[in-house]
Amino acid sequence: MVRKLSVPIAVLAIFAAVIGTAGLTYAGKPTVASACRQCHPAQDKVIRGNFVSATEKFKTLQVAVGSLVWVVKYGDDLKIAGADSLAAVPKDKEVAVTYTGEEKTPYAVSLSVKPPAQIPDEKQVKTDEMQKLVEMGPEKGNYILFDARPAPRFNEGHVPFAVSFPQPAFDKLKDRLLPKEKDKLLIFYCGGVT
Amino acid sequence: MPEWKKAGNLIVSETAALKDFIGKDIAHVLVDLRKTETAEKGYIQGAVSIPAAALAAAKDRFPADKTAPIILYSEKEDEAAYRTVTGWGYKNTSVLSGGLAAWKKDSGKLVSGKLTTAISYVPKPRPGEIAIEEFKALAEKGDPKKIILDVRDRDEAMNGMIIGAVNIPAGELHDRMKELPKDKEIITHCVTGIRAESAYDDLKEAGYKVKFLNAIIQIDKEGKYEITKK
Repeated sequence: MVRKLSVPIAVLAIFAAVIGTAGLTYAGKPTVASACRQCHPAQDKVIRGNFVSATEKFKTLQVAVGSLVWVVKYGDDLKIAGADSLAAVPKDKEVAVTYTGEEKTPYAVSLSVKPPAQIPDEKQVKTDEMQKLVEMGPEKGNYILFDARPAPRFNEGHVPFAVSFPQPAFDKLKDRLLPKEKDKLLIFYCGGVT
Repeated sequence: MPEWKKAGNLIVSETAALKDFIGKDIAHVLVDLRKTETAEKGYIQGAVSIPAAALAAAKDRFPADKTAPIILYSEKEDEAAYRTVTGWGYKNTSVLSGGLAAWKKDSGKLVSGKLTTAISYVPKPRPGEIAIEEFKALAEKGDPKKIILDVRDRDEAMNGMIIGAVNIPAGELHDRMKELPKDKEIITHCVTGIRAESAYDDLKEAGYKVKFLNAIIQIDKEGKYEITKK
């Protein structure tokens, strides 16, 4: 029995250690929402999550990190980047709040709204490279090209060998359409402005 | 995709898509590029006969509307014909993927007999499209029985929304559909009508009363907007 019990305890300890490095302050409150963690590591006195609301009367703003909501005091000295005012920040929008003071009584120094995502150059396939890949075909070129536009647009014509994978249905289709081989180059395109 | 097209690269359409066009009676132009006598032995329903050799001289027979979906087919994919037609400014030109061989393999039907040589193209509104005037009236006055649903991303919506509209990004609609009432008519919009139409499809499938704005719309911070026809 004793031997059997030790395993789950060890697992728990590892689990706690992993969580600890993945965005918990010492008191155990998560500071970085899981979606933000893909790009942002945990930082001291920075909360990253989804904006809930700001209450002008009490001068507090709320940011959700997963299921936990941080309530942060702010004042007229609050610096806002990416929006004109707190009222202009949409609900659920990804934000980062830098605060001073104790974790129990945080005071916001700045709030920045997540800018639209930018794809770095090295992750983009240029048109001439795409032409070469299309000439080779997906088999020889070891790639899959996905058309992220809605199906009716795909039907009106698409890049040769493209597979229809409408972005709004990503979660629904991903298991069926994404290949098992992880070494295949996956290329997505859309219709520009939609 | 706009870059791909601009560089003059080939655009293809699948046999399944052409079947969908024919089956749903979606307005399109289908051109059989083979020699007339070959085409008469078996062609795809609705095709217009313009042999590849005579294509360049047939420019005037093409529709005035440069956005008309035009599908070209021959025994194989004919890239030269594609370049000719796109060169005239037809933005939605494509070549049947794999040519007629793929169509036959995919058990596509063929009809035989004389083919027409005249293109007739009458654009039809897409199913679920709201008239622009009707949308404007709703945006101005509002209607307790209707909701304008902005399906753009939050980044876009935060730079200005139509007054009274609700924002649910198209990608989140699937999970957040329950927030919308079923007893009201929902009118979706985005920037160009593309995401609005996909939201329309999703809501329609889920049993909502829904329409979408198939036009280009720009909205400023005050909620003032400008709609242009595509």
